[in-house]
Amino acid sequence: MSVLLFWKGKKKEEPKAAEELAGKEGTAAKEGLGDAVKELVYGLAAHDMARYALKTRSSMEHLFILITMGDLLGVPILPPYYSLRLMPYVVPQISTWKRRMLREKDLTDALF
Amino acid sequence: MNSVVILLLAVITALIGYYVYAKYVDEKIIQADPKKATPAVMYMDGVDFMPTSRHVLIGYQFKSIAALGPITGPIIAIQWGWLPALLWILFGVFFIGWVHDYSSAILSMRNEGQSFGALSYRLISPRARVTLLSFIYFYLILILAAFGDIVATMMAKISSVPFAILALMGTGALAGWMIYKKRSDILYTTFLMVALSLIGIYLGTVLKIPGSKTLWVLFALLFSYLGAVLPIWSYTQPINYISFYLVFLGMLGAALGILIGHPVASTPAFTTYTIGVGPLWPILFVTIACGAISGWHSLVSSSGTARQLQNETHNRYVTAGAMFLEMVLAALAIIIASATFKDFGAYAAEMKASGPAGVFAKGMSSLLAYLGIPGGFGTAFAGAIFVILAITVMQLVLRFARIATAELAGDAIPALRNMHLGALLAMAITYLLIATGTYGYIWTLFGGSNQLMASLALMMVTIWLASQKRNYHYALWPMVFMFLTTISALAWTAYRMYENIGKLQAGKLPPPAGQTVGMAVAGNGISILIALFLLVAALILVWDGFKAFGKAVWPTTSLGQGKTKEA
Repeated sequence: MSVLLFWKGKKKEEPKAAEELAGKEGTAAKEGLGDAVKELVYGLAAHDMARYALKTRSSMEHLFILITMGDLLGVPILPPYYSLRLMPYVVPQISTWKRRMLREKDLTDALF
Repeated sequence: MNSVVILLLAVITALIGYYVYAKYVDEKIIQADPKKATPAVMYMDGVDFMPTSRHVLIGYQFKSIAALGPITGPIIAIQWGWLPALLWILFGVFFIGWVHDYSSAILSMRNEGQSFGALSYRLISPRARVTLLSFIYFYLILILAAFGDIVATMMAKISSVPFAILALMGTGALAGWMIYKKRSDILYTTFLMVALSLIGIYLGTVLKIPGSKTLWVLFALLFSYLGAVLPIWSYTQPINYISFYLVFLGMLGAALGILIGHPVASTPAFTTYTIGVGPLWPILFVTIACGAISGWHSLVSSSGTARQLQNETHNRYVTAGAMFLEMVLAALAIIIASATFKDFGAYAAEMKASGPAGVFAKGMSSLLAYLGIPGGFGTAFAGAIFVILAITVMQLVLRFARIATAELAGDAIPALRNMHLGALLAMAITYLLIATGTYGYIWTLFGGSNQLMASLALMMVTIWLASQKRNYHYALWPMVFMFLTTISALAWTAYRMYENIGKLQAGKLPPPAGQTVGMAVAGNGISILIALFLLVAALILVWDGFKAFGKAVWPTTSLGQGKTKEA
C-alpha cells in the first residue's frame, strides 16, 4: 500500500506476494503500543483515502489491460510492438483483474 | 446524575459487552477460526481485498460509522429525558448494535466477501436486493435533507460559523493539492492545514457572515455538489482528512471538559412519554439510530471491513470494538445535551431556536470552557465541528446518491447517467424536502430507513445462521424487535403527518417557520409517500424473509419447498 507507506514517511518497498502480505509481515498488525496507536490514527485519518487511491488506480489499470488484452487473445488493437513492450506489466495483474471484472457488483460495492 | 458516572456507565457496559457477550458469541456460536483463510487473503487483489492490520481497521471502521448520527439522535432524544435515551444506547448496543456490525462482517467473510446486495439476493430473494437498494436511496436522500437542514440552521443562527467553513474549504483543497500534486510531506501538510483551519475558526468570530437559512441550504448543496462531481482526491478527501483532526480535537476537549468539570445532569431523567415527534416507543428507537444500532454499519462491515480482515479472530476487535466506542460517543452527546444547560427549559428553548446543532454548540462550548477556552471561540469551534460533521458526510452522500441514481434509473433514463444531472436531481429532491418538510419527521424517516436496513441485515444473519445449523437466537430477537419497532414508527409517523395535513388546512396548526400552508401540506404529503413506500417494502421483506427462514429451519415442510434460492 504505497499510500500507507507514504503517509508513514517510509520508502516504497517492492511488492510482496499475497501470502506474505497476509500472513507474516506486510500489513500484519504490529504488537507494540506505539505502533498500534500509529496504525489506529492512520486508520482513522487516512485509510479511506488510501482505499480510494487504490480503487482509482485499479480503474485505470482495467482500461490498460483491456487495451493490451487483444494481443493476448489474438485480436490486436494496438500495434503488436507496443503491446509486446507493455505485456510484462499486464501479465502479473491478469488473475486479480479477472476476479475484479467478473465479480458481481452493485451499489453496495460502490459505497466502501 | 454526575456526567462522569454516565461516562463510566458507558465504559463499563462496553467492557462487559466486549469481554463477555461478544466473546461468547465469537467463540461459541460463530467459532471464529484463526486458521481459516479470510476473503482478504484468498482473493487478495490489492484493491478491494487486502489483508490489513486490525488496528488500522478499527480506526477505519470507527471513522466510517461515527459521524453526526450518534450525536444528533441523543440530543433530540433528551426531550423524553436523559434516562430513556441512555438506556436505549447502553442496552441497544449491548444486545443489538455490536451484534449487527459484527455479524454483518462475519456473514460477508464466510461468503467470499460478498456485498449485501449480492447476499440479500442469494439468502432472501431477488426483490430483497431491490428493496435494500431502495432503502439505501431513501437513506441517502433523507440524510441529505436532515443534515442540510441542520447545517443551514446552524450557519444562520451562529454567524461566526460560515467563515470557518469557507476557511476549511480552502485549507482542504490546498491540502489535496499539496499531498497529491506537490507530494509535500504529509505531516507538515497536516499540521499547517489544521493550524490554518483553527485560525479560520478564530477569524470567524471576528468576520461574521450573516445569511438566511435558505442561503445556507443552497450553500450546503453547492458544497456537496462540488464534492460529488470533482475528482475525489482534489476536494472531498482532503477536506474530510483535515476535518478529522478538528473533530478529534473537539471531542477530546469535550471529554477532558467532562472529566475536569464533571457537570451534573440538569435536565430531568424522564419528562413525558409522548413528545412533539411522538411516543417513546417506537419513536425513540428510530430517533437514536447510529448511537445504538444502524443499518449503514452493515454496509461498512461487509463491503469495506470484511474484505480487509486478515484473520477471523480480528473481527470482534474491529467491528464490535468500533461499535462500543461509538456507544461512548453517544453517551458523550447525552452529557452535552443534559448536563451543560441550566435546566430543561434552557435546553428546550435552544432546541426550539436552533435545533440539535445549537444545543451541541452551546453545550460543547460549556465543556470547553472548563479547559479555559473562551466562550466566543468555544461556540464558533463547536458550531464549526457540528457543521463539519454534517457537511463532510453530505458531500460523500451526494456522491453516492448520484451513483445510486445512475444505477437505479440509468437504464430507463440514460441522461441520469450524467454525473451532473444525477447530482442535481438528488439536490432538487433534497431542497424540496428541506423547504417543505418538518425537520423532526424527516429525522424520524431517516432513522426508519436506516433501521430497516439494520433489520434486513439481522434477517440475513439469522437465515444464514439457521442454514448453518447454528444458534440464531442472538440475531433473531434483535431482528424481530427492530422490524416491529421500525414498522410501527413509520406507520405512526405517516398517520401523524396525515393528521397534520387536516389541521394545517383547517388552520388549527401553524406551518413551520418560513413555510406557507401549501408548502407544509406538500411537505407532509411527500413524507407520507416516503413513509408508506418504506412500510410496504418492509412488509414485503418480512414475508420474503419468513419464507427464506422457513426454508433454512424447516427444509422438509411446504415453506422449505419455496422458490427461495439455496443459502
